[in-house]
Amino acid sequence: MSDDFEKLGRMNPPKASAEARARALAVAMQSFDEAEKSSNTTQGSAHPVRQSSIFNRIWSPIMNRKLLAGSALATLLVVPAAAFLTLELTRNGAPFAESAQEIALKDEGKKEEARPKPEPQAAARKMAADERARQQEAKTADALASGSVEGEAAAPAAQADAMANSVARDSAAPMSAVDGAQPQMTYLPAPTVQEDLVAAPPENRERFGKAESNPVKSVATDPVSTFSVDVDTASYAFVRRSLMEGQMPERDAVRVEEMVNYFPYDWPRPVSATEPFKATVTVMPTPWNGGTRLMHVAIKGYDVVPAQAPKANLVFLIDVSGSMDEPDKLPLLKSAFRLLVEKLKPEDTVSIVTYAGNAGTVLEPTDVKDKAKILAAIDTLQPGGSTAGAQGIDAAYGLAEKAFVKGGVNRVMLATDGDFNVGPSSDEDLKRLIEEKRKSGIFLSVLGFGRGNYNDALMQTIAQNGNGTAAYIDTLAEAQKTLVEEAGSSLFPIAKDVKLQVEFNPAAIAEYRLIGYETRALKREDFNNDKVDAGDIGSGHSVTAIYEVTPVGSPAVLNDKLRYAEAQKPAAEASPHGGELAFLKIRYKKPDGDTSELMTTPVTEANAVPALGEASGDVRFSVAVAAFGQKLSGVSALSDYGYDAVIDLASGAKGADPFGYRGEFVNLVRLAKGLGGSRN
Amino acid sequence: MQGDRQAFGRLVERHYDFVHAVAWRWSGNASDAEDIAQDVCLRLGAAIRGFRGSSRFRTWLYTLTLNAARDHKRRQLRDDRQMQAYASEQAVAAPAADPDEEQREALWAAVRALPEKQCDAVLLVYAEGLSHQAAADVLGCSEATISWHVHEARKRLKTLLGKEAV
Repeated sequence: MSDDFEKLGRMNPPKASAEARARALAVAMQSFDEAEKSSNTTQGSAHPVRQSSIFNRIWSPIMNRKLLAGSALATLLVVPAAAFLTLELTRNGAPFAESAQEIALKDEGKKEEARPKPEPQAAARKMAADERARQQEAKTADALASGSVEGEAAAPAAQADAMANSVARDSAAPMSAVDGAQPQMTYLPAPTVQEDLVAAPPENRERFGKAESNPVKSVATDPVSTFSVDVDTASYAFVRRSLMEGQMPERDAVRVEEMVNYFPYDWPRPVSATEPFKATVTVMPTPWNGGTRLMHVAIKGYDVVPAQAPKANLVFLIDVSGSMDEPDKLPLLKSAFRLLVEKLKPEDTVSIVTYAGNAGTVLEPTDVKDKAKILAAIDTLQPGGSTAGAQGIDAAYGLAEKAFVKGGVNRVMLATDGDFNVGPSSDEDLKRLIEEKRKSGIFLSVLGFGRGNYNDALMQTIAQNGNGTAAYIDTLAEAQKTLVEEAGSSLFPIAKDVKLQVEFNPAAIAEYRLIGYETRALKREDFNNDKVDAGDIGSGHSVTAIYEVTPVGSPAVLNDKLRYAEAQKPAAEASPHGGELAFLKIRYKKPDGDTSELMTTPVTEANAVPALGEASGDVRFSVAVAAFGQKLSGVSALSDYGYDAVIDLASGAKGADPFGYRGEFVNLVRLAKGLGGSRN
Repeated sequence: MQGDRQAFGRLVERHYDFVHAVAWRWSGNASDAEDIAQDVCLRLGAAIRGFRGSSRFRTWLYTLTLNAARDHKRRQLRDDRQMQAYASEQAVAAPAADPDEEQREALWAAVRALPEKQCDAVLLVYAEGLSHQAAADVLGCSEATISWHVHEARKRLKTLLGKEAV
């Protein structure tokens, strides 16, 4: 972008025309002289009018409004014409807003550098007749056409009506009949609808990173798919909120993987901390496409038993800017943090930094056994001021370093309704800072609140760079889920920089499409590069990724076979991995490690189930969520798969659902069905 | 007195091209630029005696020109008609010579569609090549505010131009 900006400097303005230059200089001298005259009389007189001669008063607006630029005569014609029209207006009482300015367009003599001469009576009459004829035709398009034909004249002409408006008022005295028409003149300048072309509508300033849905890729050309895990859940909460408020969510706000990962799933667990997680692969028929299959990859993190949980050093960085003064923001945030404090162990420490007009430390690092003090500090938070996010982040990192727990959890929890909107930091600078701090062992999580100003893209970015999660909190129940039930996952990472790579066997799979994870795509070579950051898995987290794969020979294959590829791979059948569909590789680092470890799993027909119904309830439910997410983000592959089918699939797979999350999901799909008729 | 007058004449003559160039950058259109420049000359004549010399003349000239450009723009916006005329005028204006030029034009249009403050800040910093401090002087705000406007503009442009927001 900065490169683009540099280009602005390379735009060379054209030379001003000599004529315009001379005219401008003359005007300058004239106004200089005028000013001198008036300065000789009094300075800063009590006289309410501008200090200029009457000539200047009439002349300078003309100069301003480019009428002099070749159309002084036009002005002169417009004045009496406007008067005539006003007369017409009073008589007919019909406001014909389109009319006045066209007159000037008709004027042929506009090029003349004419002095004011009282001759335009005839012309005005001619034009008025013209005007009436046109009025009968009521062809406004005609007017526009003539506007563009006469090219240069158009702008002056359009201004002429404003001019005419004001000048007519000045010269109205002799035409007493005009009196009643004066208010009607306000019809002439057409109402402006201009604003929204210039500025985006102000009421919704939420921003989302843009990402197109992953395309279908051909295994022949792109056999390998690489991405970083994502355990954020912000997108689901945001979608839910939109739907609850009766709006379809913005497509860019929907991240399918975050919706899928919102729900707790009971995937098979790893048995010990030495193996931080376990991957389970299920292959099943695709519910929305008979010709393809879904390859469902479920990863479950090792659950740290609370007794083993390391000591935590948390810094709450809380946005208390004026915009937080809404029931679903600061008050909700306070309750959310109270819940979290209750969950912490006595020896953990908490500090609080607020940022508004300027950043301030509300609470120095305090042990959780001093709970009353922490809660009191939370209660004192008051909204006010604008946001100095960058400063706040600095202060928060300062405190986190002060109370740094070696080998423990050091984390800044940022709570905000949107934007870090004051300070010189660009998103990139902020990212860099957070990345740096991450290397020193201090991680960052983001809790988003409120609506209308939410900067989703930035929140996601900083959480990704801070080895943290981004969650969106819209209700106290959501706070309970994120901060209490899943506190372990968001607080205690068990593996970091977790990357997935799937290599498809071209002998078995022709095409594949990764559902979601658009913002998490990695380059193929980044998989083995430990310097490339990726997502983290917390204690007990589960991560689900779903591929839609098209088997070789299926009628659903979209890409034609390559004509010349055959010759190159004669040995496909003979390959020792012939029976495999794909090969799954996972790379991760221990939370304190710098080098990655590799886990691999081949995917074979043994992982497949013949019918969707035979897959486990969790698998089916996650597929339903993925289908819903894709429908919301407008993936064309699902246009024939209705909301009803999603509802059936999800309600058939609700399982125990102790917290009611899945029941809520089914309700959301119903809402979307009602709201989104047009989108099917 | 006569000497003052001549000096003023020379002053305007010397700075006219500068004003015109600035006006052109802000309006993006030659005929508007001429109007704005003329307006600035008019204001200059009336206001030159009030120039205290407390700021640099260039800075002051920027302020005058930006105000004139802003007024001009507002006048244009008042009238829907005007926009249509303006659009057709734009179409008539010579098409960009090469794709690079065209891309630049698009960026320009996007910059001009920014909120006023952001647009001013971006143009002062990037088109006029001022430092943030100098731009702050022109716009009468603090340096940090300029930085923030530029930062906001960047973010906004990313959205407007459909680039991946980072």
